[in-house]
Amino acid sequence: MKLEQFTALLDHNRPFVLDGALGTMLIAQGLPSGYEPVRWNIEHPERVSSVHANYAASGSELVHANTFGGNRARLAASGIAHLIGQVNAAGIAIATSAVGGLCLVAGDIGPTGLLFPPAGTATIEELQDVFQEQTEILAASGADVLSVETMYDLREALAAIDAARKTDLPVLASMTFDVKRRGFFTMMGDSLLPSLLRLADSGAVAVGMNCSVTSDVMVRMVEEVVRQVPVPLAVQPNAGQPRVTATGIVYGAVADSFAEDIRRMTEAGARLVGGCCGSTPEFIQAIRVRFPKKDGAP
Amino acid sequence: MPKTCETMAALGRAVLEGDVAGAERWSQLALQLMIAPSQVIDNGLIPGLRHAGDLWEAGEYFLPELAGAAQAMKAAMKVIEPVLASDAQRIAAGRVVIGTVWGDIHDIGKSLVAVLLTANGFVVKDEGVNVPVDQFITRARELDADIICASALLTTTMAQQRELVLAVRQAGLRSKIMVGGAPVTADWAREIGADGQADNAVAAVAVAHKLMGHHHET
Repeated sequence: MKLEQFTALLDHNRPFVLDGALGTMLIAQGLPSGYEPVRWNIEHPERVSSVHANYAASGSELVHANTFGGNRARLAASGIAHLIGQVNAAGIAIATSAVGGLCLVAGDIGPTGLLFPPAGTATIEELQDVFQEQTEILAASGADVLSVETMYDLREALAAIDAARKTDLPVLASMTFDVKRRGFFTMMGDSLLPSLLRLADSGAVAVGMNCSVTSDVMVRMVEEVVRQVPVPLAVQPNAGQPRVTATGIVYGAVADSFAEDIRRMTEAGARLVGGCCGSTPEFIQAIRVRFPKKDGAP
Repeated sequence: MPKTCETMAALGRAVLEGDVAGAERWSQLALQLMIAPSQVIDNGLIPGLRHAGDLWEAGEYFLPELAGAAQAMKAAMKVIEPVLASDAQRIAAGRVVIGTVWGDIHDIGKSLVAVLLTANGFVVKDEGVNVPVDQFITRARELDADIICASALLTTTMAQQRELVLAVRQAGLRSKIMVGGAPVTADWAREIGADGQADNAVAAVAVAHKLMGHHHET
């Protein structure tokens, strides 16, 4: 998809609705703990497909393919680096056929897990190579856009955006921030507004925040930065905080109050809205009823 | 030559600031001053690391600073360990197998606990990250480990800790099991039947000592 086509979609006088969680939906379908989710693109494509189809039916205008962990570094940690072409191509193909033209498909790009010194030994060049390999596969497999997500190190996010932009596809970029005493920071200490400005400056068509915090906290983040960010702002909060129970991990949020917070974020100026961990098609539906699609809109 | 307390303060500061070269230099100096290695750890390294942990809790320090402190601590331990091993007062506090669970590649918290346990006299076998349950079991059996420490930083990998507890009991190992990691709570530890849990690396040492105490009683 061309950059202008995508920006035209964002220009509508209503928010652009993304999808909700994929990983926690797969876990609900039996993905074992610690098991790399991209493996299911090969082993259980029908389960991955059903999640995408559900989001499309609930009103998502874009779904994230199951490629979040599809970079060489993450795959190598699971001993499946040799499957890199297969899992990424299958991820895009599954999403594309699941949504049947109802919405766009984003190639999802998550962190490598490699850390820069002193926490690790990674170099910028190493990460650029890792991302470039994945973004080339995603683009060649037919992704409409590329979405860099859940980044906790600004340098890594910029390396991913750099690689993604070489494909000429529109690039969304989102990082994950937590609440600290002095404001909102990633775990590496990157603060909210300067990070978003750098993401925008590096050519991402929309920038934002996902994961880590609940929707009420993300309302505060949006209010703090939205007027200063020069590109559309994307928000994908968690559906409550994870709680461990005897039967598994439970996210506490109720779809309706989550969607109410999303409405507050759009009133403040957020333009792309969706959910992260714990959110389900029900949450997207609750958002969608607040912003009905107009006739003729894609 | 600087006095003992100055040396300890400087060593603590080097750890706090992630100054690897400084931590090495001040530990060497401390040994030259004939300060007992256990004192160097207790009065220099641990206060520095604890301060770093406090700043992390307060939101002033982030992962790079914490990792820097851990590295400085490790560098200092390399200087001290040869002497520590020959320290007549030192009795092995216990044998520990430690690792981050399968599917999880978070290293720093686990490594910090390993370094601190070593500093406190434990013999520690660090299995690294992404450690399958079987590997924990095999290594614990080889070493006749007193304690197995399993770290999990993701809500999606915590369940591995439960698998580990089950497997250790099934294998009939006598090893106690400690669990840790950001999402791991005391409730979770109780729920899965682990023997101990700690919220941070310093607390983990206390828990390990406590578990060893229970060993001695039985």
